[in-house]
Amino acid sequence: MSKPIMPEEIDPVIHERVRLAIVSTLAVVPEMSFNELKQGLSLTDGNLSAHSRTLEEAGYLDVEKTFRGRRPLTTMRLTQKGRRAFRQYLATLRRIVEQGQGSRNQAMQIDGRRTP
Amino acid sequence: MEHDEALARMREIQRIMERTTLYTLLPGTPAVIGGVLALIGCAISYAMIHSLDFARAFSLPLQAQIGFCIMWTVIGVAAVAQEIALTARAAQRQGIPPMGRPWRVAGLSLTPSVFVAVVLTIKLLMDGDIQYIVPVWMMCYGTGVYAAGLFSLRMPRLLGLAFIAMGTVGLLVFPQYGLLLAALSFGLLHIIFGLLVINQAGRGHRK
Repeated sequence: MSKPIMPEEIDPVIHERVRLAIVSTLAVVPEMSFNELKQGLSLTDGNLSAHSRTLEEAGYLDVEKTFRGRRPLTTMRLTQKGRRAFRQYLATLRRIVEQGQGSRNQAMQIDGRRTP
Repeated sequence: MEHDEALARMREIQRIMERTTLYTLLPGTPAVIGGVLALIGCAISYAMIHSLDFARAFSLPLQAQIGFCIMWTVIGVAAVAQEIALTARAAQRQGIPPMGRPWRVAGLSLTPSVFVAVVLTIKLLMDGDIQYIVPVWMMCYGTGVYAAGLFSLRMPRLLGLAFIAMGTVGLLVFPQYGLLLAALSFGLLHIIFGLLVINQAGRGHRK
C-alpha cells in the first residue's frame, strides 16, 4: 500500500481555487493576456491581480507589462517552477484518488465476503 | 483532502484545460479570411444577378446558374480548407493533437446543424423557396457555433447568437435580401469576430 498523503504535500499556493484555475489555464498555453484570463475565468480585475501576485511571489508566474500601441498590455505565463508545481499537484491529486479508490475496493471486497 | 474532493478538482482542472484549448483554437485570422472570401462571393454574385435577392440567381440562364453554383462551392471549400489548415497549424504549434477532444467537440457541435441546413436547403430548392436558403444557413450555422461555444468561452457563443438573431430577422422580415444578409453575416460578422479574437490574443500566439 502506498504511503498516505500528508497535508503539507498539498501546495497551498496552487490549491486555492482561483489560483488553481489560473494555473490550469496557463498550463495549456504559452502565454495569455490579463484580459483574456480575466474574461476566461470570469474574474474581476482586483481578484485576478491579487491571485496573480501571489503566484508571481511564489515564482510560479511570470508577468510582463508592455505596451501595444498606446495601450498597456499585461501578459502572463507559467514559469518552469510553476509548471513543475502544477504537475506535482496533479500527481498528488491522482494519488489521493487512487488511494481512495483502493480503500473503496477493499471495503467492497470485505462487504462482499460478509454478505452471503 | 478526501478522495471525492480530489476527483472533483481533477475534473475541474480537466474542464478548464479543455476549455482553454478550445479557446486557443479560436480562428482569428481564418475567420477574417473566411469573411473576406464570403464578401468576394457576394460581390461576384451581385455582379452576376444585379440584385440583392439570392433567388434571382435561379432565373439566370442555365450556364450562368451552373457558374453561380460552382463559384459558391469554390468559395465554401476554400473558406473551410483555409480554416482547417490554419487552425491545425496553430494547434500543432501548441502541441495539441489533431484529433484531440477539443476538435471532436467542435466537430460534433457543428455537424447536426449543418446536416439540418443541408436537408432544409434541399426542401427549399424542391419547393422553389430559394430566398429562405441564406437565412436558414445563418440560423443553422449560428446554432452550431453557439453549441461549440458552450465548451469554450463567451465570444463564439456571441457570434452564434448574432448569426441566429440576424437569420431570424432575415427569415421573417427580409428574405428577399439574401445576398445582403450573407454579406453582413458570413462576411462582415466573421471579419469583426476574427479581428476581436486577434485583438484579444494580445501578442498573437493565435494570430
